[in-house]
Amino acid sequence: MFKVLRDLLRYNREFLCGTLLVSIILGVVIASFFAPYDEMMTYAVIPDMPPGPEYWLGTNSRGQDMFWQLAASMRNTLMFGIVVALISRVIAIAVGLISGYVGGKTDQIIMAFNDTLGALPNIPILLLLVFVLRDQMTWPVLALTAALLGWTHDSRLIRSVAMSLRTREFTRHAAFSGMRTGQILLREHLPYVMPIVFFTTMNNLIWAIGLEVTLSILGFSDINRPTIGGMIYWANAHSAMVAGIWWWIAVPMVAVVMLFIGLFLLAMSVNEYIDPRSRLARMGA
Amino acid sequence: MTKVLEVKPAIVQSADVLTIKDLKAYYVNDLFGVRREVRAVDGISLTVRRNEVYGIAGESSSGKTSLIKTLAGAIRPPMRVVDGSVNFTFGNTKIDVYAEPEKMKTARWQNLSYIMQGSMSVLNPVRRIKHAFDDFAYRHMGLDRQAFRQRVQSHLQKLGLDPNVLEAFPHQLSGGMRQRVTIALATVCEPEFIIADEPTTALDVLVQQDVLGLLKEVQGRLGSSVVFVTHDMSVHAAITDRLAIMYAGRLAEEGPTQAMFDNPQHPYTAHLIASLPRIGDLSIRKSLAGKPPSLANPPSGCRFHPRCPIAVDRCSKEVPEMLPSAIGGRVACFRAGEVSVK
Repeated sequence: MFKVLRDLLRYNREFLCGTLLVSIILGVVIASFFAPYDEMMTYAVIPDMPPGPEYWLGTNSRGQDMFWQLAASMRNTLMFGIVVALISRVIAIAVGLISGYVGGKTDQIIMAFNDTLGALPNIPILLLLVFVLRDQMTWPVLALTAALLGWTHDSRLIRSVAMSLRTREFTRHAAFSGMRTGQILLREHLPYVMPIVFFTTMNNLIWAIGLEVTLSILGFSDINRPTIGGMIYWANAHSAMVAGIWWWIAVPMVAVVMLFIGLFLLAMSVNEYIDPRSRLARMGA
Repeated sequence: MTKVLEVKPAIVQSADVLTIKDLKAYYVNDLFGVRREVRAVDGISLTVRRNEVYGIAGESSSGKTSLIKTLAGAIRPPMRVVDGSVNFTFGNTKIDVYAEPEKMKTARWQNLSYIMQGSMSVLNPVRRIKHAFDDFAYRHMGLDRQAFRQRVQSHLQKLGLDPNVLEAFPHQLSGGMRQRVTIALATVCEPEFIIADEPTTALDVLVQQDVLGLLKEVQGRLGSSVVFVTHDMSVHAAITDRLAIMYAGRLAEEGPTQAMFDNPQHPYTAHLIASLPRIGDLSIRKSLAGKPPSLANPPSGCRFHPRCPIAVDRCSKEVPEMLPSAIGGRVACFRAGEVSVK
């Protein structure tokens, strides 16, 4: 494992860049646990200070240090993204593999449901739920809702691969040797779709973070809890751009773009590594 | 000592491992109220004895693969067993494949293994070879991990394979090695019955010879029975003890391979054998006019009669039965032994 990482860092430039970007973000996230002030507290420091030696990323009009705000926001936003991605991955893999392998009526019913859900617009549904639930709409509930909406594309993708795998000789061989359906799906088909799962996880993470940012900017989340979107919401509420406090908007934007690019580069290079054929091609075999 | 050796084969020879009685398996399509039957296996009876290599030959689409899928119990819709029975005898247990599917499940791989057609793709491309052994054979062996690994390694060594192949992915192996790995995979549980569906078709002649030798050796060592299917008559001549010729879903002839090559009884067998090139013989091989009939709408009577050079009136009206032939086998022809193709 360690050797694999070392080789990837040494020979794969995309992986190196991705690792650097993501580790900067992760470093900031870890720093959030050592924050000197409560992240919810306002007017803890002098407001509207530009970035400088004392306040690295400046302070905002609510008297919060931007660095510690960013740290807490990144942690919360990333947490949201990961929870959404994990839950939706489990659903997407299960639905995709089962639907593709079992086929027939089961497949038709599952896919009808899948397509219906996929055709529904996500943002309006989430907005509606936010209005209905109001105070009960905590971030775990929001994450669960987003996860339940975010698996349909990927399950279709996985299903298409599973349908092809079903007719391959090794599946028939496995079935003949007496492996149960669950075993075939987990041990024969899951490794095959793993690169797709990995790549879509990264995509889904990016999508989930984007969703969180969108909802928070519009103010449809707990606005006192710092998140990337929440930071931009407050900056807009205080007309930061008009007031000339550009760093209030720039800091969360740059950070989230760094995270997106870092995740994308990681996804790309690890995806290439997971597929033994492209791995060997890179090694020159 | 010699007496024992004489007696033993006699006992072994008499035991039938596989008995098929009047087996009929059709592909049944029911689309928009129109029922279509493709009679891929149409009334076949045969027995396979212990410790023999039983060949099944025939043209493409003569129902070879359908027959062995049916006897392995590995069919799925739209294919259906319409009539007849398939019985295996493994040691003291008798299994009726279609009456006792549960018993059959436990027998698979342990007693009955299957080297599938296109076995180049039998190995999962994203899993290491050792995982294929884990997945397919581990459950059936009843050994702990350590002992199982050792057993697999020694088995590979016996087949002339480096145990390092266990760590390899299928695409890192050559075609011949992959084929050998699949044979190792099919024989690691030391099954009594092995079905080989065209295992050498995609290989070149030299590798083919290697693989055939390997299969024959494994079969001899385990004392198991092999049903070997291929359209390549020269492979049958090299490896099989008894041979069955299939034509349009039925058996045309069955008998000891050597005798059949020397003295074919059925006109179809005669033409198949005559089509084989011989070293030094420069004459152009005659091919039989026409092509195999559609199995959805087969000809009446003997299915071979439209192409048969010695057909008589009776052939198009009556279905010939499988009757004992002059060379110690069975043949389904009213004019058995009358043909001579040179």
